[in-house]
Amino acid sequence: MSKLLPKNQADQDRVHDLVTDMFKGYRIDRDATTETVLWLNSIAELPQVIKTLRIETGLQMDRLSDLTAYDNIDGADGPKRFVMVYQLYSMRFHSRIRVKVQVGETEKVPTITSFWRAANWLEREVYDLFGISFEDHPDLRRIMMDERFQGHPLRKEYEMKDRQPFPDSLPVRIAARAPDLLNKE
Amino acid sequence: MIKTKEQLRTELEVERQNLTDFYNPQVLINMGPSHPAMHGTLRVMCRVNGEVVEDATCEIGYLHRGIEKLAEQKTYHQWIVYTDRLNYCSALANNIGYVMAVEKLLNVEVTERCQWIRVICMELARIIDHLICIAINALDMGALTCFWYLYHWREEAYTMIEAMCGMRLTTSYARIGGMSYDLPDNFDVLMAKFVKGLPKSIDDVEKLLSSNRIWVDRTKDVGVLTATEILDFGLTGPVARASGVDFDLRRDRPYYTYPELDFEVVCGVKGDVYDRYLVRMEEMRQSASILSQCMKKINKGPLWVDDRLIRIPAKADVYNNMETLIHHFKIFMEGIDVPPGEGYSCIEAPNGELGFYIVSKGGPKPWRTRVKPPSLLLFQSFEYSMKGAKIPDAVSVLGSLNIIAGELDR
Repeated sequence: MSKLLPKNQADQDRVHDLVTDMFKGYRIDRDATTETVLWLNSIAELPQVIKTLRIETGLQMDRLSDLTAYDNIDGADGPKRFVMVYQLYSMRFHSRIRVKVQVGETEKVPTITSFWRAANWLEREVYDLFGISFEDHPDLRRIMMDERFQGHPLRKEYEMKDRQPFPDSLPVRIAARAPDLLNKE
Repeated sequence: MIKTKEQLRTELEVERQNLTDFYNPQVLINMGPSHPAMHGTLRVMCRVNGEVVEDATCEIGYLHRGIEKLAEQKTYHQWIVYTDRLNYCSALANNIGYVMAVEKLLNVEVTERCQWIRVICMELARIIDHLICIAINALDMGALTCFWYLYHWREEAYTMIEAMCGMRLTTSYARIGGMSYDLPDNFDVLMAKFVKGLPKSIDDVEKLLSSNRIWVDRTKDVGVLTATEILDFGLTGPVARASGVDFDLRRDRPYYTYPELDFEVVCGVKGDVYDRYLVRMEEMRQSASILSQCMKKINKGPLWVDDRLIRIPAKADVYNNMETLIHHFKIFMEGIDVPPGEGYSCIEAPNGELGFYIVSKGGPKPWRTRVKPPSLLLFQSFEYSMKGAKIPDAVSVLGSLNIIAGELDR
């Protein structure tokens, strides 16, 4: 069933306890599937926290499972406009953790492409659909929408019926490359 | 970032010069979005030196339909049909992955029979997806015979799915808390024929391909991804397993009745196109064995959860009983009320981890639905793995990644 095996649940609980110990002074929740949700206090500490979660022996969150955002226009999750969501997965312990942080409309999020190259397109998608920009991203441009597109469709104020068709497609250029960071650290 | 007209004009002139110069190592070649080897609407711009691809950039979004935006406007039930349009080769797995996420938010546990049916569906979807992948991959390289051998079984699988839910490609079979129909009466006969015949065809195709000189030359050491690169790109599924990353959500974080089933997680060594082909072949055999185990273990029982707020009433009652009619009307016109909360739920879809992240703020519509498709990260790695290959190799690498534009662009 959708309930976890006892082994997986034990790992998940252990991760939760460990994270609670490590991050004093942070808001830590558990969601509907008992996964740990770690709320960061500011966007600037994101790279440091991701790095800690990745190298801490008891966690080893070494795979970026997903990276996305959602609109917080109703202010349910705090005063800022958006919430960034990072889903991390530990290939060793098979447990997950979700890192969430609030982002203002004009704030820049530090990129995590230096940890995982997987983040490149995922961050571009967030930039395209929400208009959140990333600092030091190697190739920050629209990914789903056309370059000529106006606005950001997943923002709540963007109307469903606001279609912007383009009759032709733009020429593609070879993209700028992120430096090869496989052998970083 | 926006370029001026002068800059664009100079770029265009340089490009024109490059194209006319035969010995120029900077020729740009555009493949797609409408190209027979580009599987749908993918577009790749390659910088070639002679025949070797030195750099490449992928362009996506040609099939973007705003499915995630649509999810915010539809009730949870209404959106099930859109999940068919994500990975249209394995629609069943997408349906189930989505309803599983909603059920987690509702905190309901589906019945045992329903779980078995869902496992059967997901394994059928896996077989269909792998069949398509290998058949098309071979077809792209000119081997038409395998295509006919394999597509016969795809057709048989679709016939079974048609018997299950009346649809073939876009199934919409799963419902929140149950399934739209129970299995048909003659299903065990159909399945027995399928699990017996499929492995034979797989053996035949293996005889045609595995030691075929052309196939081996075209696939060995092509598009190699090492285990470190797999983690760096966040890849999952058969592509990751072919590189030796021993990871399968069905075993490592099982859901439904997978813990009761006996199957092996197939791993490759080198991570080239040939290993991916072998992994997929063996996974189909494992899936066929899972299917026959399921048919032995499935037993009669209720299909739907016993919760009136979620359960869709039976049609016979809806027509004959006024209260049930109102109930039915409420469920479909207003939708199910999902409590506030959030959850990320993922399944091992044929191509890798397919995740649904739903944020609910109460009410019948989600605040945010995020689909994490395996194809997005797979296609991102394609830019890197095709570097240094020749253009025809790029076609074989693309086929082995099995990118489905529907879930890539959403």
